Amino acid sequence: MIIMIAIIVGCIIGIVIGLNSPIIPYTYSGYLAIAIIAALDSVFGGITATLNKNFNLKIFISGFFGNAILSILLTYLGQRLNVDIYLAAIVVFVGRMFNNLAIIRRYLIEKFSAKEIINTAQKMKKKREQKIQKNT
Amino acid sequence: MNKKQVALTLGIMCLLLTVGIAIQVRTISNTNSTVAQTLTENGLRDEVLRWKERYDNLYSQLEQAEGNLEKVRQQASQDDTSASSKEDEIKLNNMLLGLTDVTGTGIIFTLTDNQGVTTEMVTSIDDDISYYLVHDSDLRLVVNELKNAGAEAISINNQRIVSTSAITCEGNIIKVNGEKIGSPFVIRAIGSPELLYGALTRPGGPIDLFNAKVITDIKKANKVEIAKYTGIISSKYMTNVEE
Repeated sequence: MIIMIAIIVGCIIGIVIGLNSPIIPYTYSGYLAIAIIAALDSVFGGITATLNKNFNLKIFISGFFGNAILSILLTYLGQRLNVDIYLAAIVVFVGRMFNNLAIIRRYLIEKFSAKEIINTAQKMKKKREQKIQKNT
Repeated sequence: MNKKQVALTLGIMCLLLTVGIAIQVRTISNTNSTVAQTLTENGLRDEVLRWKERYDNLYSQLEQAEGNLEKVRQQASQDDTSASSKEDEIKLNNMLLGLTDVTGTGIIFTLTDNQGVTTEMVTSIDDDISYYLVHDSDLRLVVNELKNAGAEAISINNQRIVSTSAITCEGNIIKVNGEKIGSPFVIRAIGSPELLYGALTRPGGPIDLFNAKVITDIKKANKVEIAKYTGIISSKYMTNVEE
């Protein structure tokens, strides 16, 4: 519960700060974009790990910052070498994001369908009990 | 690690992420958002934006340096009367050169393309749609007339007319001081309002000529503000003649 509150408060404060902070030069906006994609990938990875019950905060934090910094460095290297390395980074990160989203989606569907099955089973059980009660 | 620490770290990370996204979105929406057709076009656009950024940075540096120079000059001329008269001279010369913002009485004259005229309306053989647009020659005529009437400072769409200014036709736009400007053309001039007004509105004068073609609007004003010249006046080839 406290984690959810912290996340929501963090997001709201972040939006407020972001809307009031000065904009960055256009030259660096490409680097920021790739860092955001990397961070988002880490977030989805973290959610998947939580669902699989093997979430480790240290891995999550190191992935969050490490991936962002690494992708910025690779993008810079790509610009020096005149190769669009950031495209590779985007393909990897977004591909992984879709994978993680699929896992999350499956988990949620299974959870809800399991609930439904239990609910219907309980209803049938009640009906049967009522019938038995009437018969007796 | 207890739960509070976990919540704090996650909160801070969410904060960083959303700050990044918000800044990025604002940066992108602030820059020119026309969708480029091809990769080359995209690259060229990037290049232009980068150069513009560099130019803006340098220009702000220049302004800062000018401010510093002004301060130094003031300090130097504080005690010395002859130096302070020199300082006044420098100020006056800068004003005459068009290197400072100036204000005073004058007129504001607006020339607008006549957009009411369409190609279908232009039927006779010696008529042309381009007669109903403002041309560089029209602007030159007005500037010439204003100078003749004793205008001390003139600007067209905030481009100050200085001794090196050129008004040229560049296809479908007009360039003043090498900067593109377009309709409506707002010409501000400082001088005697009556003289300037009279020079433009006299029978057979510029407004008489224009009224048949384009839309004109002239106003006398008690306070006309004219921005300074933002370019560089170079003196690479000329030297003083020693007497």
